[in-house]
Amino acid sequence: MSLSVHFQNVSVIIDGRKILDAINTEIPSGSVTALIGPNGAGKTTMLKVILGKISYLGNVIYKSDNKGELAVPRFGYVPQSMDFDRGQPMTVLDFLVMPYQRKPLWLGRRGNFVAKAKENLKIVESLHLTNYQVGKLSGGELQRVLLASALCGDPNLLLLDEPVSGIDIAGERLFCDLLESIQHQRRFTMIIVSHDLSVVSNHADHVICLNKSMICQGSTGEVLTPANLQVVFGHHTEIVRNPHLDAAERRGQEGKTDGRL
Amino acid sequence: MDVYDLIYKFFASIFPYQWAQSTFIIRAAIGLSLLTVLCGAMGIMVVNFRMAFFSDTISHSAFTGIALGLLLGINPWLTLVLFGLLIGLGIIRVKRHTELSTDTVIGVFFSTVIAIGIAIISARRGLSRDLQSYLFGDILTISEPELTAMILLFILSAVYIWLTYNRLLFVGLHENLASSKGINTTFYEYSFAALLAVVVAFSIRAVGLLLVTALLILPAASARVLARSSGKLLWWAIVLGALSGLLGLVASLAIDIATGAAVILVASGFFLLANLWRLFAKSRQI
Repeated sequence: MSLSVHFQNVSVIIDGRKILDAINTEIPSGSVTALIGPNGAGKTTMLKVILGKISYLGNVIYKSDNKGELAVPRFGYVPQSMDFDRGQPMTVLDFLVMPYQRKPLWLGRRGNFVAKAKENLKIVESLHLTNYQVGKLSGGELQRVLLASALCGDPNLLLLDEPVSGIDIAGERLFCDLLESIQHQRRFTMIIVSHDLSVVSNHADHVICLNKSMICQGSTGEVLTPANLQVVFGHHTEIVRNPHLDAAERRGQEGKTDGRL
Repeated sequence: MDVYDLIYKFFASIFPYQWAQSTFIIRAAIGLSLLTVLCGAMGIMVVNFRMAFFSDTISHSAFTGIALGLLLGINPWLTLVLFGLLIGLGIIRVKRHTELSTDTVIGVFFSTVIAIGIAIISARRGLSRDLQSYLFGDILTISEPELTAMILLFILSAVYIWLTYNRLLFVGLHENLASSKGINTTFYEYSFAALLAVVVAFSIRAVGLLLVTALLILPAASARVLARSSGKLLWWAIVLGALSGLLGLVASLAIDIATGAAVILVASGFFLLANLWRLFAKSRQI
């Protein structure tokens, strides 16, 4: 079950500097909401507010989708190109089991956690990576393993911070298609921070434009207009469909049999 | 008859050698085994959290802790542990509430505690002679009450590592990711720093304050080279730690050198062997 996120007059001030200024917004339940804005606009700070990693003024409230009652979030989080100690001996399976299993890993892994980890690796089409070292994964493989890790917690709110930065175009398309397919199956609320407007226009259904304060918000079609993008990014920006890619995509859709979008 | 008499008799009966008749060697062997296993396990997290400089600061703060104890007429071991704990928690507190990099914060604490220690010693010149034994450690002079305290610390630490191993590794890997999974990263960081400060203080007894960090880092570093999973990492670290301790003790008795130095040299040897083995394994894969 997904939930909606309500920001009520949320401000973040660090060393006397306003990073976020009186944000009021509702992230709809079950939506794919994109946070866009220039560098330093406060997009990642907004994710940190949701994760409780930063102190803020105002309120952040979660409501369940069907009754509108207060709900408890179960976060899934996929960080931006994770910077970590790649020399640490740790298999992908260790990485997926580790945060959930209480029994120390030096006494073995529990069957139920292993089964869940493998199930989620299969969903992100990475079951073959089970016994790989986490430090040896490529950028695209690591993002898929991080997505599997997020899914292991059965999230009702999935947060992704620039999930496709540092991945090649083929990897980016694969990751975004996977994400869309999983979101359609599980119906969790998804918040994605992205600089990539093509990712936003293709995959988000709700967009929030930030530049420390709220610039505009609404459905993707309403928000991603040249006028709004000029206000957010400060120069003329327009999303132009590539007719060759559109034709290729249509051919791909016709050939698909699994019913994915 | 107390527990220690039973232990001495047990050792004397199963090891029919002259050394097993000496109670001080039996105490040293037990104490060193406990500390090297403990340091092996704790060392994994020290390497994982990149806390080598942190443990170095705690061990050097012992110098000031002991000087304070001698100056105030309090048991130096008590002031050593308390001062180490204070510095350890102080570093974590400042690190979490400042924009300064971790090594800068630790560097500030490191130089300040050393300066306080030197100031105390220079004011009371008689103290420097008493401090020498703490620089190099001497596990062969460990008393029964000290060994009892080590056993209690070992049990406490074993329970802590049992309960927190997986989550500590995960917090060290990526703090924000750990937070998103509901892990209280602040608790894990403070509690580990506090326990590490106490373990470092006790380890000074075995190898001296100059070599404590090596006792933490070397078995864990060798284990990282040899292990291929998070579970095996701990087993390698404690086996290599314990072997370094026991072989170092035997070598120090055989060729009459400082036990602490012998233990660290054996651990360094294991590190060299681990890397040679890894190179050999890689060359066979090509």
